[in-house]
Amino acid sequence: MKKYILIISEKPDAANRIATALDDKGKTIRENSNGVPFFTAKNGDKEIIVASALGHLYTVANTKKGEWNYPVFDYQWVPRWMVEKNASKIRTWLKVLTQLSENAEEFIDACDYDIEGSIIGYSILKYACDNKEKIAKRMKYSTLTKEDLKESFNKPLPQLDFALIEAGLARHEIDWLYGINLSRALTLAARNNNNVYTTLSAGRVQGPTLKYIETREKNIQIFVPTPFWNITAKINIDNNTYELEHEKKTIETLLEAKNITTTCKVKEGQITKIDVKEFQQNPPVPFDLGTLQSEAYRLFKYTPLRTSKIAQHLYTNALISYPRTNSQKLPPAIGYSDILKKLNKSPIYQKFTQKLLTQPTLKPNEGTKYDPAHPAIYPTGNLPEKVLDDSEKNIYDLIVKRFLAVFGEPALIQSIKVSVNINQNMFFMTGYRTLKEGWMEYYKPFVHSKNISFPPLFEKQTVTVKKITLKNNFTKPPPRYNPRSLLKKMENEKIGTKATRATIIQTLYERKYIKGEQNITITDLGFEVTEVLKNYCPSVVSSEMTRKLEEKMEQIQLEQETKQNVLIETIENLKTVTSTLKQNQLEIGTQLGQKIKQIRINEQTIGKCPKCQTGNLVIIRSKKTNKRFVGCTNFFENKCNTSFPLPQTGTIKPLTTPCKTCNYPVIKILINTKQPWKLCLNPNCPTKEKKK
Amino acid sequence: MTCKICNRPNKKNEYCSLHLKAYQNIYKKFEVWKKALEISWIDYLVNISKNSLTGEWAKEVVKYLIEAESRNVKER
Repeated sequence: MKKYILIISEKPDAANRIATALDDKGKTIRENSNGVPFFTAKNGDKEIIVASALGHLYTVANTKKGEWNYPVFDYQWVPRWMVEKNASKIRTWLKVLTQLSENAEEFIDACDYDIEGSIIGYSILKYACDNKEKIAKRMKYSTLTKEDLKESFNKPLPQLDFALIEAGLARHEIDWLYGINLSRALTLAARNNNNVYTTLSAGRVQGPTLKYIETREKNIQIFVPTPFWNITAKINIDNNTYELEHEKKTIETLLEAKNITTTCKVKEGQITKIDVKEFQQNPPVPFDLGTLQSEAYRLFKYTPLRTSKIAQHLYTNALISYPRTNSQKLPPAIGYSDILKKLNKSPIYQKFTQKLLTQPTLKPNEGTKYDPAHPAIYPTGNLPEKVLDDSEKNIYDLIVKRFLAVFGEPALIQSIKVSVNINQNMFFMTGYRTLKEGWMEYYKPFVHSKNISFPPLFEKQTVTVKKITLKNNFTKPPPRYNPRSLLKKMENEKIGTKATRATIIQTLYERKYIKGEQNITITDLGFEVTEVLKNYCPSVVSSEMTRKLEEKMEQIQLEQETKQNVLIETIENLKTVTSTLKQNQLEIGTQLGQKIKQIRINEQTIGKCPKCQTGNLVIIRSKKTNKRFVGCTNFFENKCNTSFPLPQTGTIKPLTTPCKTCNYPVIKILINTKQPWKLCLNPNCPTKEKKK
Repeated sequence: MTCKICNRPNKKNEYCSLHLKAYQNIYKKFEVWKKALEISWIDYLVNISKNSLTGEWAKEVVKYLIEAESRNVKER
């Protein structure tokens, strides 16, 4: 059999694109072995096979099987099918990769050029391809366009980035060590002492993230507002009314506020000063993943995870560059004008691209963040071949317009501050006028130019005072985090990575530690878990510890620290943590167990019994028939025999609002593929009569 | 010893750590309210108990304090 070059990519879609780009005729042959696809291409006299991973095919696992206990410090990298349910496909996948590696004479890792991609490629080359990581070359590209792929294939890096891989392996192993030990400690404490089984998890980044939410919630719950007053004046100029603010934005005592109000109750005031200033507003900086997620949340309310997934999809379709980047820089090597020329083919962007292409030079307004692996996110210039869905369209449009805007000129804004004297009290009003839109023109509708204008005014002009208003206000509690602000907090505190932050927030939702989409609140369970971690292993919830570990992992990447040293330190720290948790297992178990029981009871409670009014209606499963029904808790004291039948399939969720017609409790039934439906518990509810 | 409000076990104070923080906050903010409105302690408590911006734990302490005040008045 003829020898070939085996290229490993991260996903089948990327493999297809790589093979198509490298094939001389631009056509690839899709083959498959046992359902595992791979793509062949011919490049000059070279035969190429591009095979792919399916994300991570290997994972960290406990060396010892069987006993479910802690502490656990012995681990190894194993194929995922060995430790995960429903991962049997991976077994076949790896077999095919091994077979393909047997006749290959050259190996190239073409997974995404970041920590995760590097680990995926490295582990396949090492374990499935019999230690070929030592001889493999590395393709480094930032877009899946034909030009970029060809360039990176023709000039590959001579070897894998082993420092990056070491840092990545360290991250996975440290996260696994923290995750397994803390999660087992919490789960076992709750199970052994209360007989309640529920999966509780905690981790190195999860802990501090949960603590931010907990601290915020505490500040909200203990908050006591304090009063203050504002005074506004309404004045008339040329039959138009304008509102002015008193120079003291907050007045702390009612007496002072009333005195000012009384003094200002006059008929006229006088303009004492008109302050006109012009200032430039620079274009925005190119998107890194964090700012893209932030902007997508501000504009479309997409969660960071959703934005990340959409961006990844656009990248796989060669529409945008690699999105998991920290960079806010666009090097000239990406070819600004080539991208603009390609985008010029789109009627939507033509007006703007043409304008930019006539500029003598193209210089982006770059941000400070830099990522050695990839530039900031930019459109490749390719136009969508298939129709994008609405959310993809939104993100694509946002990325394109941002790219155009960074090349725009600064906007020129004029601010006008008018000072009005009303009986020796100064009031102000401020207006804005956009004199030159500059970059704003390219970024519409995602930016609005400021325009609050006044009629011609002059100093010493007399104005009519129409109304003086005294308003009582109160200080407000800090706002709850939303997905955008929480992600920003994690970024500022330097915990987690651009690729993991959104997933960690998602895990907190899945564990039922937090709730609420726009206003994130900690649940009772989340609160209790944080309390336990804070009391017994404060380092686990401290940003400091996590940040230090992140720094150490960066040092591994820079070859200033070794993976082994960092792991020894982690294990030493974990030995102390797990020993404290074990010593206090009883107390922890009681604290968590009680809360879990309470949560279970709450989940089962439908509402107050409409007949006896003192008992609660709860979901009960009959020991005789194993069927579920709703009964009153007073039944056990022989006080009330109220009961209602229930549907036997689906998940039941009690609703807080009772039936509008009969005031009985209402439940929601959720069945996998079906539309959820509401059911009033009252069998004689008039609404049901109507249906009969 | 347990917290007077939520019965959480507690070593030192009459309140658990959460309600203690709420109490301290209530106590501290009274100075601001007194200066702003020249009101009494009990009027202040009634005011903040009705304010939608007051946190739930703070409200629980306020409720307890109002009840304690009215018990004191009756005893007197």
